[in-house]
Amino acid sequence: MVLSQRQKDELNKAIADYLLANGFNSALEHFQKEAGMPQEIEKKFSGLLEKRWTSVIRLQKKVMDLESKLSEVEEEVNNGAPTRDRRSPGEWIPRPPERYILNGHRSPITRVAFHPLYNVMVSCSEDATIKIYLPWKMLYAVSCSADMTIKLWDFNGYECIKTMYGHDHNVSSVTFLPSGDFVVSSSRDKTIKMWEVATGYCVKTYTGHREWVRMVRVYQDGSLLASCSNDQTVRVWVTATKECKAELREHEHVVECIAWAPDSAQPAINEAAGTESKGPKRAGPFLLSGSRDKTMKMWDVSVGICLFTLTGHDNWIRDLVFHPGGKYILSASDDKTIRVWDTQNKRNHKTLQAHPHFVTSLDMHRNSPYVITGSVDMSVKVWECR
Amino acid sequence: MSIRAAEPHPVVDDHGDGRWMSVHTHFLRDAKEKEPEVVLIGDSLIRNMVWSPLWKQMFEPLHCLNLGVGGDRTENVLWRVLNGELDQIEPKVIALMVGTNNHGDTAEQVTAGIMAIVKAILDKQPASNLIVLGLLPRGENPNPLREKHAAVNKQLSDQLADTPMTTFLNVDDSEFFLPGPKGGDPVTATNGVIPRELMYHLSMDDGYQKLCEPLLEEIQNCLGTFVKVESTSFDTGSLSGDAAENKP
Repeated sequence: MVLSQRQKDELNKAIADYLLANGFNSALEHFQKEAGMPQEIEKKFSGLLEKRWTSVIRLQKKVMDLESKLSEVEEEVNNGAPTRDRRSPGEWIPRPPERYILNGHRSPITRVAFHPLYNVMVSCSEDATIKIYLPWKMLYAVSCSADMTIKLWDFNGYECIKTMYGHDHNVSSVTFLPSGDFVVSSSRDKTIKMWEVATGYCVKTYTGHREWVRMVRVYQDGSLLASCSNDQTVRVWVTATKECKAELREHEHVVECIAWAPDSAQPAINEAAGTESKGPKRAGPFLLSGSRDKTMKMWDVSVGICLFTLTGHDNWIRDLVFHPGGKYILSASDDKTIRVWDTQNKRNHKTLQAHPHFVTSLDMHRNSPYVITGSVDMSVKVWECR
Repeated sequence: MSIRAAEPHPVVDDHGDGRWMSVHTHFLRDAKEKEPEVVLIGDSLIRNMVWSPLWKQMFEPLHCLNLGVGGDRTENVLWRVLNGELDQIEPKVIALMVGTNNHGDTAEQVTAGIMAIVKAILDKQPASNLIVLGLLPRGENPNPLREKHAAVNKQLSDQLADTPMTTFLNVDDSEFFLPGPKGGDPVTATNGVIPRELMYHLSMDDGYQKLCEPLLEEIQNCLGTFVKVESTSFDTGSLSGDAAENKP
């Protein structure tokens, strides 16, 4: 290693400062004599040697991180993912980096969603706005708020066409029934309510949860509702009769989110649950729940048991969605990642460092290769799948 | 005789802009909407933690709410506790640090003030773990204020010993001292000089690290969880270097 004269001088001065600071006085004296240095040591060299010493380790770690990141990305490019023209809808999963970052909101994002048919997405935020991306004709959306109301929006003219009052506390989640005639909502007032879209009246109230109900989701055929709550339970309700069909308790913290498995996911879930190949296949319905206890649990609602648990996230799980192809599950977490889970093998298939802050919500388009995420960092990101 | 430090008082709005009350209102709203697992309450030493890189990396992932207000004295924090700031939440851990602004109060009065807040917090949140932080040394050189703080810490340590769910956490003064007289004999004990960058207020990196690391450890003991050291992909700050140094 060849140092320039200037570098040599600096090194000597730094060594001298180190010797002085640590009281190696006789060594210092000899060193200064041998190196032909002046007695006094300039201020700017104080602590320099230690700084350089630690910076090497720091940079080494940085280099190692970058190298492992690079190799990950290379692997991704070469082997991990099919190219755009060869991707298939059943297999595609979101790949970094994100395609777009949308920075319109001024407060943390609370929910993002795709329209089930059109290429339209919406996001809502604590800044009290809803943003709609790529407008389309004949669109409706339903929203809920901490102001205790539910609003029905016509995005044709961006008008609120109905406001539904009745909950006594924050409304945490809202969704349409398949027919489109009704919406159901969950609230911090511990109830779930069903509303008639045409009149705006509350037609049913489902009671039983002992705490804030975080989310409500309707089964594909509309016959069942699932809800999850701060009381750490997941409940399944018969839509028509308001009867609580199942109370699923195994989570050890607030249950944040739930999702019904699509029919396409049944083979993978059966495989994962270890159903005997000769025995009768489980037919579900299957429900997945995500909790602040950092786990996700797959439930067979017909018998009310937990089939398996997915662990891997390092913080609260905030949202989850089934891959339309049925093979994967996607989850968003306060550990700032989104993860893709291989259902059949109950394995964390891929982890994306999605945002610099908690990821609060995610959704996947039914038939286009896109995933969106929202975060407390106030941004919405669009991820392309391959 | 009543002790002012141990009675609830809002801050007198000398400037006339009402900002202290605005901050309180803001905290009430946060308490209603956020669901913190950890709450820190106190004066500017608590408030300014949010500017430290440690906050973003270590505290935020624990779902922390910071209820610190610059300049608050014990009576002000007591007022805030009694006026709703802890009412709508169920935190697992609460950390309290206040008292350094109680100019003119004796060590006994400051201790009484802190103990009054402890009692109020335990009344509001009997199921939470409470961590009471000791007062930090003040000034560059040893002075009467440091002695007063040391006396407060001694009294707190005695009085909190039998308080349920409560831990007294005191960072030893010497943690903040210079490592021996510069250029002098390394064997000599520290002479109690606090380096300039720590003396005025805890600086972003060094000072808070000394305070936050034991605090984080205690919080995580209470929570029974440990924050995973994050990947450095979002950060080029000092923590990655420290993490590297701690690696075997």
